[in-house]
Amino acid sequence: MLVMGEVRTGLLQNSGEIPESLCQGVLGLLSGERVRTSRRPIVYAVSPDQLTGVDCRLASASRARVRGVGTVLSRASVTGGRVLQGSSHIQVARAESDHRLSWSHYLARPGVIEVFGKVRVPDLADGFADSGGWNDCLDLGSVGERFMDVVQASPLLDRKAPFRSARTRLRWVAVAEEPGREGPGIRFTLGRDRVRTLRLVLPDGFTPDVVDFCEDLALHDWLLTTLLVIVERARVGTATRAEVTAKLAPAVDHLLHLWMPAARLDDDFAPLWEALERRPGFTRQWQSLVARVRDQVAINTLALLREAGGW
Amino acid sequence: MLVFAISDKGGTGRSVTSSNIVYRRALQGSDVCYLDFDFGSPTAGAIFSVSSVARGTTQGGMHRYFEGRIADPHRIDIWAETDREGLRAKPPGAGQMVLFPGDEGGGEFSTVSEEMLLRCVRLFTRLEEEFDLCLVDLSAGRSFAAQMALAATARLPGVPFRWLVFHRWTRQHIIAAHGLVQGRQGLLAAGVDHGHDGETLADHIRFVRTAVLEPDAAELEGLRETQKAWLNECDRELRELARRYGVGRTSMLGKIPLDPVLQWREQLISDEDVLSSQIANAETVAAFDDLAKKIVDDSAWEAL
Repeated sequence: MLVMGEVRTGLLQNSGEIPESLCQGVLGLLSGERVRTSRRPIVYAVSPDQLTGVDCRLASASRARVRGVGTVLSRASVTGGRVLQGSSHIQVARAESDHRLSWSHYLARPGVIEVFGKVRVPDLADGFADSGGWNDCLDLGSVGERFMDVVQASPLLDRKAPFRSARTRLRWVAVAEEPGREGPGIRFTLGRDRVRTLRLVLPDGFTPDVVDFCEDLALHDWLLTTLLVIVERARVGTATRAEVTAKLAPAVDHLLHLWMPAARLDDDFAPLWEALERRPGFTRQWQSLVARVRDQVAINTLALLREAGGW
Repeated sequence: MLVFAISDKGGTGRSVTSSNIVYRRALQGSDVCYLDFDFGSPTAGAIFSVSSVARGTTQGGMHRYFEGRIADPHRIDIWAETDREGLRAKPPGAGQMVLFPGDEGGGEFSTVSEEMLLRCVRLFTRLEEEFDLCLVDLSAGRSFAAQMALAATARLPGVPFRWLVFHRWTRQHIIAAHGLVQGRQGLLAAGVDHGHDGETLADHIRFVRTAVLEPDAAELEGLRETQKAWLNECDRELRELARRYGVGRTSMLGKIPLDPVLQWREQLISDEDVLSSQIANAETVAAFDDLAKKIVDDSAWEAL
């Protein structure tokens, strides 16, 4: 078993968060069925699945020429009316014929890419995880990002985002557990240029919940990355209190309330999140940053009160 | 915000001035990027002292992106990849500074197809998400790149944009700068063809004078009185000419003094070049700093 995907995450280009009703509108731009939404514990809306037909080379660590034909499954989602994600994934399967079949064959297997010839799973998995500079191979991130672009271009958004932020890329690879090795495995790596890789070993095989998990992780990684940049730019200790607070304000207004790891996930994924909480310790770092932001705001408030002679 | 840098003639110092504006803006704390749209001769890498892309990139730059051969153009973090020691440490509080180089051996386009235009719109939209200022360096003269920029901005009503027209302080350059904006196939006429409102577009265009020698500059002290009087007269005539051609003070965003460092080695001028090695003039840096602020200052762009 080999499933690979990429999630790109960015700020929805609107001045404020958008209400659930508007989520329907912006994600409804992607043709297909209804937009699904949930309200608890955080407003979440996801577009219908989109299929993209591909016939192209797949990245492999050995640089072997591997040709794959099939469909990529993508979707766009908005969390908290504020964070936009574009996510694509494929399951890799061996082709039973030695030539390309009619598209109806591939359309009947959404999200499956059939590869010709003999391939080794680790070779494809390593190739994909490291496929940054490959321009001639299947680029799942770009497929998903197209749908993000459609959403960002929606006339329902005012394009006046409260701060600038880069999109992050989480590339993930899931393989089945090998006999003799225990339990689920997870490895998360921070790379250059806002690329992250996630390697998963799944004891129970692939379910669509795996995609939810990867999207949830990408969301929280983006939140953490973005807050880190905001705090760094605020120049705490160097700039004046008023300047620091002004730089931190967008974080208070738009980000701090969005942190809810594993909120919508199946209990089966709890051990994976727990592993990430131990190391690198997402929530620990987030809470320390949040405390820092709030302390800075509090100190500034005290300073203002003192100036006003209010105490 | 998108800022397009253009000039009618070559050798105006458009690229080196734009690069320095981007650098100053980054130092002022904004996230900035520089896009090399001079497809025929991409040299921005040299100005930023990134030697690996001094003549454009081989890893897929702007040209190949517009051809549709790559999904993401090569991006270079200048703070991390410049060869200049003094630039390599990003000062605290400074913003991102990213270069999107052209392709080595790219070449100008001979037409703008609908696909290219869509790619351009997509690129601008994505960069606007990430950067406070995206400076697009267009080649000298009327180019397809300039046409594409006009067409793409007409399709992006929510994205603010501004144009900087660079010209030297000479008779020919003043007349040429006027022609580039107002002429029969100038920016305004082409912009209206692409769906811009002429008056609004005109309000988004300002001129930048480069290599300006002020008659009262310190460098001119050794001149004879007759030479000084002659220079003063020339300057007065140029001012009059500029006013008549609509390139005068009111439509000017800034002027860059003549500086040997810019003339002989087109490069970023760091504070170190002024303060410690003293090869560049403090006035030049002050002019860049001022321009970098005015570019985003709405009061400098109020309707004429």
